[in-house]
Amino acid sequence: MASIGGARRLGLPGLANYGLPVVSFVAGVVLWQLAVEFFHIPAYLFPSPSAIVRIFFTGNINWVQHTLVTLNEAVTGSAIGIIVGFAIALLITLSATLNKILMPYIVALQVLPKVAIAPIIYILLGFTNTSRIILIVILTFFPIVINVSTGLTDVDRNLIFLLQSLRASKATIFYKVRLPNSLPYFFDGLKIGVSGALVGAIVAEFVSSNSGLGFLILNSQYTFNTVAAFGAFTILTVLGLLLYAAVVLLARQLMPWYRSG
Amino acid sequence: MTSVVILENVSKHYTTVKGNEVQALKDVSLSVQKGETVAIVGPSGCGKSTLLRLIAGVEKPGSGRIHRETAGAQFAVGYVFQDSSLMRWRTVYDNIKLPLEVVKKKDLGNVDRLIEMIGMKGFERSYPIELSGGMQRRVSIARAFVHEPSIILMDEPFTGVDELTKEALENELGTLIRTLNVTALLVTHDIEEAVFLSDRILVMSPRPGAIVEEVPVNLPPARDPSMRSNIEFFAAANKVRAKLLEMHAMKVDAAT
Repeated sequence: MASIGGARRLGLPGLANYGLPVVSFVAGVVLWQLAVEFFHIPAYLFPSPSAIVRIFFTGNINWVQHTLVTLNEAVTGSAIGIIVGFAIALLITLSATLNKILMPYIVALQVLPKVAIAPIIYILLGFTNTSRIILIVILTFFPIVINVSTGLTDVDRNLIFLLQSLRASKATIFYKVRLPNSLPYFFDGLKIGVSGALVGAIVAEFVSSNSGLGFLILNSQYTFNTVAAFGAFTILTVLGLLLYAAVVLLARQLMPWYRSG
Repeated sequence: MTSVVILENVSKHYTTVKGNEVQALKDVSLSVQKGETVAIVGPSGCGKSTLLRLIAGVEKPGSGRIHRETAGAQFAVGYVFQDSSLMRWRTVYDNIKLPLEVVKKKDLGNVDRLIEMIGMKGFERSYPIELSGGMQRRVSIARAFVHEPSIILMDEPFTGVDELTKEALENELGTLIRTLNVTALLVTHDIEEAVFLSDRILVMSPRPGAIVEEVPVNLPPARDPSMRSNIEFFAAANKVRAKLLEMHAMKVDAAT
């Protein structure tokens, strides 16, 4: 029972709800394996689950190194994205003028599919790791800006009145009301941000790189090594889940007062 | 008798988003004496909340004067809102402590005393999300008392609370007001609540809000639940009700 409660507190559905999803997943993998064997589908078209597992232990791909490259890009990019996003959110909420000045750029960047600019970033900044990180920063800072600026402004008006009636300064109202109020919004933005970070890392590696999971997938295409690409998909899925879980865990740790949904 | 707050012919206009001028308050004059509790009763939207914000100083009157008696010390208000408006990221203890932090009072003894008085001992470390609606109201009331303000402003403090809890909370608030001998201004549309908690009642007209009647409550200063069936309780309540109905009828006549 304790573990069920524990899972709930982590924001995951209770263990009691895990039954059907687990059965569905296992059944899907088994069906996949059987279908590939039954129809004699060649591995370069669609590899079986057992072949994907085998590729991690045989062959000459350095999985750990490629995974660390991609993870490092995603985490570094997210970290910078958080700082940049928070800074911009502060600027546009503290100054109505700055808000108006920056708004057209923010809107333009919002509607632009941001991965589209990936090739041009390399022209601007060179074929370096910096360019890869910049693309990830652009993908992560955005949801942070939108969510944090909402959290800083969408406050209980009564709390503002209360502090104003006690002659609190704007700075006091900011760090006693606005800042803590923005915390749940920040974590919601971060959840979107970390998944964006993985997208950014893969796209950046597609365009130019010589290591990482995105590089591996592109390389697999050239060599018809579809199994290796599926191996990379598997790792990316696990990475995405882990990053998301890390954000949820951190949110629970820092906001025991918050219950979502 | 010294006045804590005096309003002289206070009026207030608003400009709505559509650009229309709305008069919220019209020539409101009133005073609240030290140690008394005054209730303002009026229909929804008659500018009662605006009146409290003007007294709190978070909004400025369009015309008229507001005099606040400071008696040497800094004038400060305690505020109780419609929904308890607690900081959800703060524990019960830290929510109650908030006004002391803002006015930079070092002595936190009042926090513990009030937690005791509102019967929340053992919940100091709880967050608002872990409390019932009634408990949240108690915390917000304690927060309004903690810094010993010149006047406590209450804006329909028990809206949305079920009837039984509401009566219990009114009894507790009444005890708190008398025990701590505070000055209070209660704004409500609940006639019984106004009679039970106040020394006199000002009846307000629909917008633009103006004070149209004053009804004294001839009950002993220390209230107990049994007074809800006292003849004076009903006398005051009926007077207020009659005035409110009279204004309502006028409004309906004017509309037809």
